[in-house]
Amino acid sequence: MPKKAEQPADTPSYEAAREELIDVVRRLEAGGTTLEESLALWERGEALAKICQDWLDGARQRLDAAIETEDE
Amino acid sequence: MAMETSLESPAPVRQVANAIAGWVDRLGAVWVEGQVAQVNRRPGMSTVFMTLRDAVADISVTVTCSRTLFDGLNPPVVEGASIVVHAKPSYYANRGTLSLYARDIRMVGLGELLARLERRRQLLAAEGLFARELKRPLPFLPGTVGLVTAPNSAAERDVLENARRRWPAVTFEVAYAAMQGQRSAAEVIEAVERLDRNPAVDVIVVARGGGSVEDLLPFSDEALIRAVAAVRTPVVSAIGHEPDQPLLDLVADVRASTPTDAAKLVVPDVAEEQRGVTHARDRVRGAVRAWLAREQAGLDALRSRPALADPRTLLDARLDEVAQLRDRARRTLGHALDRAADDIGHHRARARALSPLATLQRGYAVLQDADGHVVTSVAGVAAEQQISVRVADGRIHATTTTTETLEETHAEEG
Repeated sequence: MPKKAEQPADTPSYEAAREELIDVVRRLEAGGTTLEESLALWERGEALAKICQDWLDGARQRLDAAIETEDE
Repeated sequence: MAMETSLESPAPVRQVANAIAGWVDRLGAVWVEGQVAQVNRRPGMSTVFMTLRDAVADISVTVTCSRTLFDGLNPPVVEGASIVVHAKPSYYANRGTLSLYARDIRMVGLGELLARLERRRQLLAAEGLFARELKRPLPFLPGTVGLVTAPNSAAERDVLENARRRWPAVTFEVAYAAMQGQRSAAEVIEAVERLDRNPAVDVIVVARGGGSVEDLLPFSDEALIRAVAAVRTPVVSAIGHEPDQPLLDLVADVRASTPTDAAKLVVPDVAEEQRGVTHARDRVRGAVRAWLAREQAGLDALRSRPALADPRTLLDARLDEVAQLRDRARRTLGHALDRAADDIGHHRARARALSPLATLQRGYAVLQDADGHVVTSVAGVAAEQQISVRVADGRIHATTTTTETLEETHAEEG
């Protein structure tokens, strides 16, 4: 039921993913990276954003589920 | 004055009685303190009989006094009251009874009573019976509540009603005891100890409505205080109203100001607890939701940053860059070409100016032999020789027939 379980074991924790994402965005905006690097950075950024979103969706699902079972 | 008697010459009763009377008189008048256990005041009798009981020991003595004295007392003597009498022991020979004939009776004043209570409090306090560390916490949710009170008293109703309103499922074990008068202290002790022996009882409440200091005296009774100190079950003292402070309050684990207050202390208000739990749960949920919202907002903000949301901006930047470079390249190339073109044009013009083409166009032609050399003189040209004639717009290949030398004036050198 929680999305978190589906992610591969080596998925970074939410905080780690979030920190790296902030760093990626900062480096992309700073520029000065080669085209190759910025593409790679961008792809990494997208992946990290998805991981964070999955964590948050999972948390929300668990919260809603807990509330649902409570209100039956 | 010992009496000389013997089997042979026994003393008559009257003599022994008189002797006893004599010895008794030798005590003289004394101030005696005690508690009035009984008062026999029959109309028509000039003497009032009272039983004066010792405060601590189980010893009592008859006290007699004149009715006028008794009636004159203010406040009047009531059973259970503590008094101090100035009396002379008198031996009533006729029936061989001894009694104290009181000539003066003083009510033990409230101040005196309180003073005595205070002394007793200090005594018991010194023994550590009131020590704070002995106080046991009350169980949050008692299985059974033991209640020591007078049968169908206001106190009983207060405790039961209030407790049930707060927690309908509360169970009570009520042990009735006299809450006033002589037997009170002993009965309360017995009730408390009986409840203490009952394992189901988790807390014992001793509840009594308001009363005078005398009324509440049993609840400062030393034996009761020691009994309560000894029991294992936590005890709640709910005696009288707020200001009342019998010693039981000090030895009990918890002091309730009134029976109603006792009910509140021993039984949680379930509705209140329920609200508390719900409130706590809601706050927990609120906190998690707030955290989620904050993190989601943070993530959305990050994702909406151009660097992520629209990677094209990255590429656009580079595209622009490339475009600009290309344009510049083209422009510079263009310039270079233009210049080159000008240069070529210039050279061509010059070439053309120097080129024989114009001459050819004016009708001249240039002869070239097979090797391409230009023939400038007839010499060297044989008949039937392959020659090509370059005219303005092309070449004519011909074979010579004859050659003819002409004498021309020498034209200026070209």
